[in-house]
Amino acid sequence: MTLFGTPLRRREDFGLLTGTAIFLADLARPDMAVMRMCRSPHAHARIMKICTEDALAHPDCIGIITAADLPSGTGLLPAIDLLPDSAPVHQALLASDRVRYMGEPVAAVLASDAYAAEDIAELVRVTYEPLPAAMDTSADAILYQELASNKVHETSQLVGDPDKIFATAALVLEEEFAFHRLAASPMETRGAIAEAESGTGRILLYSSTQIPQLLRNEAARILGLDKAKLRVIAPRIGGGFGCKEAIYPEEILVLQAALTFGRPVFWCEDRQEHFQATVQARQETVKVRAAVDEQGVFLAMEATCDADIGAAYGLLGNTPGAAMATLRGPYRIPHFRSRSRSFVTNKAPLNVYRGAGYPQATLCMERMMDLAAQRLGLDRADIRRRNLLQPDEFPVARGISYPACGPVVFDSGDYPACLDMTLDAIGYADFPARQAAADEGISLGLGLAFVVEMTGNGPTEPARLRVARDGKLELLTGITPIGQGTETTLAQILADRLGVPPETIRILTGDTDDQPDAPGTFASRGATMGGNAACLAGDALVLAARHVLAKFRGVAVEQITWENGALAQIGGPNEPVTLHDLAALTGPAALDVRASFADNGNSWSNGCHAALVEINRATGVIRVLDYAVTHDCGRVANPLLVDGQIMGGVVQGLGATLFETLRFDADGKPMTQGFWEYILPTAATAPRFTLRHLETPSPLNPLGMKGAGEAGCTGAAAAIVNAIADALAPFGIPIRSSGPFTPETCFTLLRAAIGQEAPIQ
Amino acid sequence: MDARMDIIVQVDGRQIAASVRPRMLLSDFLRCHGRALGVHIGCGQGVCGACTVVLDGVPVRACTILAVQADEATVQTVSSQAALEGFAGEGLTPLQAAFREHHALQCGFCTPGLLVATAVFLKENQYPTHEEILAHLNHHLCRCTGYANIIAAITSVVQ
Repeated sequence: MTLFGTPLRRREDFGLLTGTAIFLADLARPDMAVMRMCRSPHAHARIMKICTEDALAHPDCIGIITAADLPSGTGLLPAIDLLPDSAPVHQALLASDRVRYMGEPVAAVLASDAYAAEDIAELVRVTYEPLPAAMDTSADAILYQELASNKVHETSQLVGDPDKIFATAALVLEEEFAFHRLAASPMETRGAIAEAESGTGRILLYSSTQIPQLLRNEAARILGLDKAKLRVIAPRIGGGFGCKEAIYPEEILVLQAALTFGRPVFWCEDRQEHFQATVQARQETVKVRAAVDEQGVFLAMEATCDADIGAAYGLLGNTPGAAMATLRGPYRIPHFRSRSRSFVTNKAPLNVYRGAGYPQATLCMERMMDLAAQRLGLDRADIRRRNLLQPDEFPVARGISYPACGPVVFDSGDYPACLDMTLDAIGYADFPARQAAADEGISLGLGLAFVVEMTGNGPTEPARLRVARDGKLELLTGITPIGQGTETTLAQILADRLGVPPETIRILTGDTDDQPDAPGTFASRGATMGGNAACLAGDALVLAARHVLAKFRGVAVEQITWENGALAQIGGPNEPVTLHDLAALTGPAALDVRASFADNGNSWSNGCHAALVEINRATGVIRVLDYAVTHDCGRVANPLLVDGQIMGGVVQGLGATLFETLRFDADGKPMTQGFWEYILPTAATAPRFTLRHLETPSPLNPLGMKGAGEAGCTGAAAAIVNAIADALAPFGIPIRSSGPFTPETCFTLLRAAIGQEAPIQ
Repeated sequence: MDARMDIIVQVDGRQIAASVRPRMLLSDFLRCHGRALGVHIGCGQGVCGACTVVLDGVPVRACTILAVQADEATVQTVSSQAALEGFAGEGLTPLQAAFREHHALQCGFCTPGLLVATAVFLKENQYPTHEEILAHLNHHLCRCTGYANIIAAITSVVQ
């Protein structure tokens, strides 16, 4: 039975399709106090006075927590990238003297129900003295007075001698790209519940989080609790994409409120709060220079990245650092220098979001490829071919380090083959004819983008495997599913390894009792790290089972073998013994094993994207008609689910490029506080997909896997932007941003280029 | 503080009587009083469609309707999916099975609203064109799938 590599349907689906799956809000009960946050209405202000008298007088008010009510010694929120060299700009659970973004929590109101909580929150009177807001990386206003500037992190990389190359290069290209601010926007907002666990003396914290283990550690640290007294559970999660990979003030405050008021506390943000106070993504400006020879070979590159990371606490240097560390993508480019700087601003904190720096790197690099091709009169596929690393060069040490993740070493791939497969899939050779034959008023464009991204982030992943009382296998994993089908994939991988039906395996996730210490779900690591850990645990269980049966029968362990999903005794009784049988014979106690998988470095998946867009010049409407991806995530465990990840990611990247943007007014007030203003892609915007897989196994893990969760999103912006640039090239319209290229933006660009009076055709 | 109004709503075949605030949203009523936990609140702004339920035969956004407006009405949520599809068999309905077969859901938060709305859509238009399916789906946000598999699932049921 070979299960690995088959499109197994998902075990998660039944509950989701019938509405019986339990999400965070489904755990709320009438006896729970409902928490509502009072949030800052200013981007930057001094808090002069907080008056809770009227609010406390409300008959449904259970209590209020302000900064003054927090126990002394309450810790600050951590930045999840934990870079040792960043400035200490950590946010408190509740603002006391100063607020630094609109939506920052100032007080937590507890009421008997959600409607009353909203009323009471409005009765908390806070007097503010507004301060000038820093709304970009060069603003004068200083957020943290203890620091002389808003720069909180800086990192640089140097490979070779770029100065020497630039001095003599045939062609030097210089560009600047602006990346706009995004909201990951999972359909389920954030939420948390804290209550005393009955009979154990512990506190139970439920949260819609990608990182329950880290949340447990940090919550214990911040509140000075014994971590053994705290259990964190992530229920079914309605999407995360990185925005549920932060330690949030509200998650800690429900815990504090449950302790203070001695009753269960429920909190769930609404969509407006989500747009104000959930971490945001991407915003940075990158200046790039490239030195290119006459043949189109990129000899050197130089880049500086200034990231607008908001009011800090989410993450300080990781995303801009990653963008710079991977800027060169799959191309050789022997000389390289980069600098990335992070600046705090009066916006909601920036964090990782699907791709986390790679979309920016890919767009910069792939735009430069197209611009060089244009300048030198080269074909866009040819210029890429001339620069791609070759299959016989792996492993390729890039001479630089990824912040907090070690040296960048590409482990595997066949980049030229990947490019060719995508060119074929999109019909690259036929495109010029198609472009020339476009209808009147329509411009067609084709864009390419090659992605290389770090995945399977280690260094270790635990797994526990046991035989339950009912004879089923239970895999206890630290990978918390956020919609990608983790349970199906892990059951499939383990079943394949053991030779047992996947239905005999239960997957337990999201509970710190099952896995007290595990990194969590991020960086496209779930299937690779969780899958390899599951296999190790499977091997350990087989060994344990052989010992148990050997002892039971009084024979040497070598006499007991494992074949076709069951134990057998060499020359012994013919009946094979399943783990279920064995547990019935001897009890399940000895059939409980733990394993930890340590990878040999991060695996780097790759993929080549191509987008074909159509621009209606009369309306400015851009449609992505066709989209091709050849993806190399090593050995594919479940092609149905990998394709789902790729397509979902591509459409997120499409939304970011065509519609989505977080806007702020001059005072720092968010202008996008709902789905009316923050436009997500809908079904009519989905392109026709052609997806292909190229499997070059990673040598870094026994399964040969590389991650796939972020790949679609990472390449889509670059491919679509390049396609738009291609379509607009005849009008001499330069493209220097990630968009969004809304109809209005596109129309304005066309009008400016063609002239107000000129007929649009 | 608020006045209360007594209402009776039939939710998935059960009579739910409650004394509610006039401003209580139907979505909250269905979840709190009806324990209809398949009604998911995605935006509370009437945009995303996750909270879609069928009110007296018409798909509505439960987050932008007051519970008192549903007094004496019949509400069907995803728990009534079989009835909405006219399916008398056991287990998953044809639409639910198609969603699973085509991997048309990932996190699944938007799925119940999409299923009930699509059941009504297909009842009113048995053989929709591709464009009509897209126009129907444009009223629902899904952040995970990229829609292609949802379109494929619905198309497979139509054929």
